[in-house]
Amino acid sequence: MAELTAFSFRTGASFLHKLDVRFKLGFLVLISLAGLKAAPLALCVITFVLIAVIIDTRLPIKVILKELRYFLILLLLVFIARILTTPGSTLIQIMAVSVTREGIYDGSLVCWRLVIIITLGLLFVSTTRTSEIKAAVEWLLIPFPFFQGKRVATMMSLVMRFMPLILDQAKETADAQRARCVENRKNPLYRLRKFAIPMIRRIFESADKLAVAMEARCYSENRTDPWLSSGLKDWVALFVVICLCAMIILI
Amino acid sequence: MNIIEIENLSHRFPDGTLGIDSINLTIQEGTLVVISGQNGSGKTTLLRHLNGLLLPDRGTVRLSGVSVSKDLVKARQIVGMVFQDSDSQIVGETVYDDVAFGPENLCLDRSEIKRRVYDALKAVGLKGLAEQRPHLLSGGEKRRLAIAGVLSMKPKVIVFDEPFSNLDYPGIRQLLEQVLSLHEAGHTIIVATHELEKVIAHANHLVIMKDGTVVRDGMPDEMVKGVEAFGVREPYNSRPGMEIRSWLN
Repeated sequence: MAELTAFSFRTGASFLHKLDVRFKLGFLVLISLAGLKAAPLALCVITFVLIAVIIDTRLPIKVILKELRYFLILLLLVFIARILTTPGSTLIQIMAVSVTREGIYDGSLVCWRLVIIITLGLLFVSTTRTSEIKAAVEWLLIPFPFFQGKRVATMMSLVMRFMPLILDQAKETADAQRARCVENRKNPLYRLRKFAIPMIRRIFESADKLAVAMEARCYSENRTDPWLSSGLKDWVALFVVICLCAMIILI
Repeated sequence: MNIIEIENLSHRFPDGTLGIDSINLTIQEGTLVVISGQNGSGKTTLLRHLNGLLLPDRGTVRLSGVSVSKDLVKARQIVGMVFQDSDSQIVGETVYDDVAFGPENLCLDRSEIKRRVYDALKAVGLKGLAEQRPHLLSGGEKRRLAIAGVLSMKPKVIVFDEPFSNLDYPGIRQLLEQVLSLHEAGHTIIVATHELEKVIAHANHLVIMKDGTVVRDGMPDEMVKGVEAFGVREPYNSRPGMEIRSWLN
């Protein structure tokens, strides 16, 4: 299984790798919220900052873009929907459908914001171990006694851990079906059914094997979790992020 | 001294199928035991009773005289299990994280976990890959990682379920060397495999299973001639009456 999703931890020694996971989670939320209504100039600032961070973390951009190609198709669909549904001054008219100047502007902004949010998520996941995310979620849920923090955190970490395996199995199942000429069947429902049933069965089988393997290694919710500690660099980063968010809102 | 004592062990699955039936077996500390039999003969079901992953419907399994069902956590510490499918048992984001998984479950402190992880990685020759993502490892390396994950819990007995499946020739040799070095280090080794040829030259004890029962139990040299009657291929060298040779020679 050489291919993995873009959304998995990559070891490194960048500034982002060294930050406390709780701060990173906070930064993710703050910048995402601030970016929701950001103007083009503010988006330029965020983009510039993100490019600098990506360079520092040394993520393999080409590989990631290749793996995110389906997301880019989704972005294209969002963009098309926006340019066709936003009222304004018409640029091109084809029968009852018109492409507006405002639509292009709005569509570009929405897609730009989505790319920023996805990049933030990518940076967070790529520089943070799942066990650290689990520990941070547990820490964040301490004030809410009605949530079973340890259980929620375990489920989250397992989902993140198993996403690459599930995608790999999906690819294998799809390849096996293509090898038996499933493409000759034009009915998408038939193809979906033939793909989904073995796929889901395999996921459950893997989940079962994983549960047994975890049990064999004495898994329990009470275990030694990573030690979360914050330092000067985390507080400095928080100050910078707050300033950045204030600037994004004010521009 | 017997490290594992199995008495009259039976297990029936929820659908009514009989997994294993009235098994009696003793395993001495420090031996290398091979359990063989065709697919569906009950090898994996038997192994899963050794550390309480399955509990018996009838009979008992005792580890150093203590019943497995009395203390499951202790049983799982004593008997480490390496599964057939390495991919499904790797839970860590990095090689280090995966090996640390077991000691973390035992609530050991961080310094002890770190020491155990590096000792285990050193033992299987993966120390240089501690920060590697497990899914980028080769098949043989993944199998060795699974062994390291078990070693970090300091087990007395290490159980391998079909360890040679899906491995190429160099991978099999590496794994065999690993198994033998663990045996030399004093671990009791149990290997469940239908590929007798790959490991039988090193075994002290051979158990053959068929339809959920133990049909042969004894010294490998004495029993290897008749194994084909139970759906297990006789080692190539044994057929013309030659000495069975190790895959490492």
